[in-house]
Amino acid sequence: MSEFLKVLEDQVQIVALIFMATVYTIRLIWMFRFKAGKEITDSVGSRRVGVAYSMMNVVMPWAMESARKNLNFYAQFVIFHAGVAVAIAATFIIPYWPEFFEITPIMRIFQLIVGAAFAVGVIRLIRRITNPSMRIISTPDDYFSIILMTVWFASGVFAIPNEYKVSEWPLIIFFSMTTLFLVYVPFSKISHYLYYPFTRYFLGKTMGHRDVFPRKRGGEEPAGL
Amino acid sequence: MSDKSINISDVVNLPLDIKEQKKAIEQKAPSVVEGKVKVYNQDNDNVKQLLEMLKNKLNRQSVISLVGCVHCGMCADSCHYSLARPHDPTMTPAYKADQIRQIFKRHFDWTGRIFPWWVHAKTPKDDEDLNRLKNVVFGTCTACRRCTLNCPMGVDTAVLIRLTRGLLTELGIVPEGVFVVSKDQWETGNQMGVSQEEYIETIEWQEEEAQDELEDPNFKIPIDKEDCDFIYTVNPREIKYDPRSIGYACKVFYHAGESWTMPSWGWDMTNFGLFSGDDKLGGFVAKNLYEAAKRLRAKRIVISECGHGYRSTRWEGYNWAQYKQDIPSESVLTTLIRYIDQGRIKVDPSKNPLPITYHDSCNLARSGDLTEEPRWLLERICTDFREMYPNRADNFCCTGGGGALSMVEYKPLRMEVAKVKADQLTATGAKLVCTSCHNCVDGLNDLIKHYKLDIKVVQILDLVADAMVVPNKNEKK
Ligand code: SF4
Ligand code: SF4
Repeated sequence: MSEFLKVLEDQVQIVALIFMATVYTIRLIWMFRFKAGKEITDSVGSRRVGVAYSMMNVVMPWAMESARKNLNFYAQFVIFHAGVAVAIAATFIIPYWPEFFEITPIMRIFQLIVGAAFAVGVIRLIRRITNPSMRIISTPDDYFSIILMTVWFASGVFAIPNEYKVSEWPLIIFFSMTTLFLVYVPFSKISHYLYYPFTRYFLGKTMGHRDVFPRKRGGEEPAGL
Repeated sequence: MSDKSINISDVVNLPLDIKEQKKAIEQKAPSVVEGKVKVYNQDNDNVKQLLEMLKNKLNRQSVISLVGCVHCGMCADSCHYSLARPHDPTMTPAYKADQIRQIFKRHFDWTGRIFPWWVHAKTPKDDEDLNRLKNVVFGTCTACRRCTLNCPMGVDTAVLIRLTRGLLTELGIVPEGVFVVSKDQWETGNQMGVSQEEYIETIEWQEEEAQDELEDPNFKIPIDKEDCDFIYTVNPREIKYDPRSIGYACKVFYHAGESWTMPSWGWDMTNFGLFSGDDKLGGFVAKNLYEAAKRLRAKRIVISECGHGYRSTRWEGYNWAQYKQDIPSESVLTTLIRYIDQGRIKVDPSKNPLPITYHDSCNLARSGDLTEEPRWLLERICTDFREMYPNRADNFCCTGGGGALSMVEYKPLRMEVAKVKADQLTATGAKLVCTSCHNCVDGLNDLIKHYKLDIKVVQILDLVADAMVVPNKNEKK
């Protein structure tokens, strides 16, 4: 393996990660400087239960009409985010635990998940471009973020086998993109995972306090009506 | 069934109408003179003022909702505006929220400050832009919170809409109706400008009616009576247009042997501050009620049937007024459940035999805690209750929420998007639609008339009063 690739896989990634963590820390400090609105009424429900319910929303597609009625979109969401998790894991496995990808079935599963996430990325990009409701709310950052992720997934498919002896290019591209990704993410909408716990926490707290969360039964038309 | 779709630019470009503001200035309206209600001043740098106010009004919850949107578009199918106008992308909730998000990004968020074009960050150029913003946040959203509950990120779009409304209210850049109602509520303590005299007269009239109905010439609607079990607070619509509901309440409270009173001041449980985004007005109105209960040493506040009135009095009001909740405040639905549960009143469901469905008020179901209570009652007071779909927190707005009924200039759009609710009602095959909100009664009646539906709007209190098994005089003795 060339010295360049070695540094790119290791030190460069660490520096980029530290950069990202630093920017995120500043971001969180900035956010916490805004005063939190306080609810001073007597509660009907439980804030704690509301927060837990709100946080678990992501794994309860039945709890939200927009997911319930759009299971195809929900499946895409799951695949896309599984792809993110697996691709991030690959950025650590390749430099620090290369033997893991020598187990061919595991390596193939990783490739499959990242490949599926790539396909979802393409579908989402097409949706963003062709659907007028999506187009009107989309910014250059939205387009760039989805393109960046999709290309990153594609590069991941080729990098995961870690065959640097055959060619280093797939790995160079994957790790270069990972670096770009780590540096760009804190300034883009991709940072939404940083905000997710907070948005859901506040919503869950309010709705739990008022007993709106957990949602009550019913709501859907029974089959056949 | 629906009319031709209206051109959205006609709505967004509706000019700012300030005739009522001018009239109020000429007449030296106290709320205007005292600066409680703001009037538009074209000589001000309104954009600068808006930015300064935005800075002061931002809190952690709103900032999180401003930065948290990923533009996934999942909210589009949850909004009655976008469902009724699928050809119009400007109805997407995220697009509406983006109108304030863009301003926030340009001035408070780092990427937007450095590379505004990259995230579509921008500043309103002039008052024309602010007027367009007004038309978006007041005219194309009823702040129903349905998109909020359907956002996977938990972004509270309705809160952002209210935040923006509040900023524009401070500049007097509001629909005429918002100005007039706010002024009335500041000056008279109630939304419809009902005078003290008119209020007392209406109560006395209902008292006489109730004496006949109850065959009890000694029956009194106690005003300002101290040490009662509760003060009963109402919607001014009941005083002005539909006093029958007070009559129904009298009948039920009488047979339940209740100790209750109506305050002469602090009786309006509705709150236009919720709609205009004016927390000061919200706090003032809510505090009137809390203080009335304290003054009369009541043990609780009972709120008659009104979605936003319940939300404002039971929930938001304490926060706006920074008033520590000292006694319980409850919806009259809870009171009615207690009566039936404790056997204080008896009901016979066969007295309400017509097929009936229930419309959940947004403020009760999505911002309050009342979805099962009305159903508990309906199952006991009607024989043919049928759900509409979707229901509870997934139900659609009556399209008259968010103060929309007071903004007549947006009515054509409101009626167009009411198609969603009209279809929901029609699908039930019901002859009656029950709702626990006076505002929804008007919203539903508007769309029923517009879409020529064969369905009548009723409220729970009417049905309970009708279903009551009244003991005859001898039995009572
Ligand atoms: S669903 Fe939520 S995150 Fe997605 S576009 Fe709408 S507001 Fe934004
Ligand atoms: S709050 Fe209701 S009306 Fe407003 S954008 Fe959301 S769903 Fe539409």
